[in-house]
Amino acid sequence: MIGERLVSGIGASALRITQEVGGIVVLTGQVLRALVPPRIDGRELVKNLHKMGNRSVPIVALTAFFAGALMMLQAGPFVKKFGATSLAGWGAGYAVLREIGPILIALMFSGRVGANNTAELSTMTVTEQLDGLRALAIDPVKFLVVPRVIAMMVMLVALTVIGDLVALAGATLVGRVMLGIDWSTMYYSFADNLTPYDFLHGVYKSIAFGAAIAMSSCYFGVTVRGGAVGVGKAVNAAVVAAAVSIMLLDFFLTYLTG
Amino acid sequence: MSTAFIEFRGVTKAFSGKPVLRGMSLAVDKGEVMFIIGTSGVGKSVTIKHLIGLLRIDEGEIWFDGARVDQLPERALAPLRKRIGMVFQSSTLFDSMTLAENVALPLRKHGKLSHNDALAEARERLAQVYMAEYADRYPAELSDGMRKRAAIARTLALSPEVVLFDEPTTGLDPVSARRVDRLIRELADKLGMTAIVVSHDPPSIFGVADRVAFLYRGVVHVVATPAELRASPDPVVQQFITGRSKGPMETPGF
Repeated sequence: MIGERLVSGIGASALRITQEVGGIVVLTGQVLRALVPPRIDGRELVKNLHKMGNRSVPIVALTAFFAGALMMLQAGPFVKKFGATSLAGWGAGYAVLREIGPILIALMFSGRVGANNTAELSTMTVTEQLDGLRALAIDPVKFLVVPRVIAMMVMLVALTVIGDLVALAGATLVGRVMLGIDWSTMYYSFADNLTPYDFLHGVYKSIAFGAAIAMSSCYFGVTVRGGAVGVGKAVNAAVVAAAVSIMLLDFFLTYLTG
Repeated sequence: MSTAFIEFRGVTKAFSGKPVLRGMSLAVDKGEVMFIIGTSGVGKSVTIKHLIGLLRIDEGEIWFDGARVDQLPERALAPLRKRIGMVFQSSTLFDSMTLAENVALPLRKHGKLSHNDALAEARERLAQVYMAEYADRYPAELSDGMRKRAAIARTLALSPEVVLFDEPTTGLDPVSARRVDRLIRELADKLGMTAIVVSHDPPSIFGVADRVAFLYRGVVHVVATPAELRASPDPVVQQFITGRSKGPMETPGF
């Protein structure tokens, strides 16, 4: 009995996940098709770039600062123990640029922007605003989804670049104030040991993370069913799907290109 | 081929296995104001949503202006939706835009107007439904009735040949409701617009309609002029139009 229930539970989950992944792929296809020729609503794009990007700077900067500071706090005692302070910047910077920065910023972005986007789109769906658009011969994918996807991808990359810089500043400050490492030692530690590729490695990951957050948050927003309860479930599903996608993408991208 | 301007032929539709429309047929002439009446949940809104492809029929055919439209794919529906506008029961104004921006949206998207020109045009359209002073307010700040009037202005912005009204007077005060009635009548009389109106409101039904289709048990039970309807000996029709709680009418859920 329990075994039966377990098997049917696993089967139902597998079916649901397959359906969701399929739905996200179909929506991605519709978004790509809507981009040829690229007729994007400029006003929607600018509004979303501002809402999703500019307003995320403070929270991303805060997260990134402490991410950099923490990496230095963790690496500091070891490099001091072995007298290798010239490697302190490398230890903190390498981890921040390649992993911690893009991942933490993407997760923060998903929680702030992705969840907000799903809530907004799903509320529009349950209150028939999407049908209202269709009735006005306006394609909701072109008008609502495409500008949001572009805005999220562009802004996550921009925020990751800003976050990288803030995180390195955080690491430097902690290195100087709490561990007593010279400014110049820190600078040369970054400059000599980190390559542009370390930075780019994080940036191209953020492009993939941005796409994953955008597609999952839009998909669950436009396919919601069932009023306020449905909106709650949609936001929940979108945030979980984005977090899982970020982890999986990070693993495979690091494995394939690291 | 269909000779009527709009025709539903043997349309069936079920939701989760529960049939709503069971072979419903109705023909609407050009320039006519056709009311669809019936109890809640009988499929009135569902019927009109089928015409512009917001819902898909299970079986049957829908014809508009000599062409079959029920099988058109979503991408091919845009020209049809520019010719047939719809005013939803819940207004469906976009929360993130002011009333003027809402009305300007279809003008900007399809009328090839610049944003500022579209906004100016939108203000004029809002004035026609007595909403000019609220043009810069957001839908959430307004009453249902005000939102509905703005939604009518938005639908009329593209000057459609046909307008589908889903309970346009529900939630309006009596004065606003009669203004909406008068607007529908004027659009038909002066501009030759065709209207299909879903309504429960007796003053609208008997004040505005050219003909009335009474939907009952998934089919059109009677199509008649308001005067014929009033004189109808059919006990179900009489129970509905007089609003008696007791009688032969089946009302699901009660």
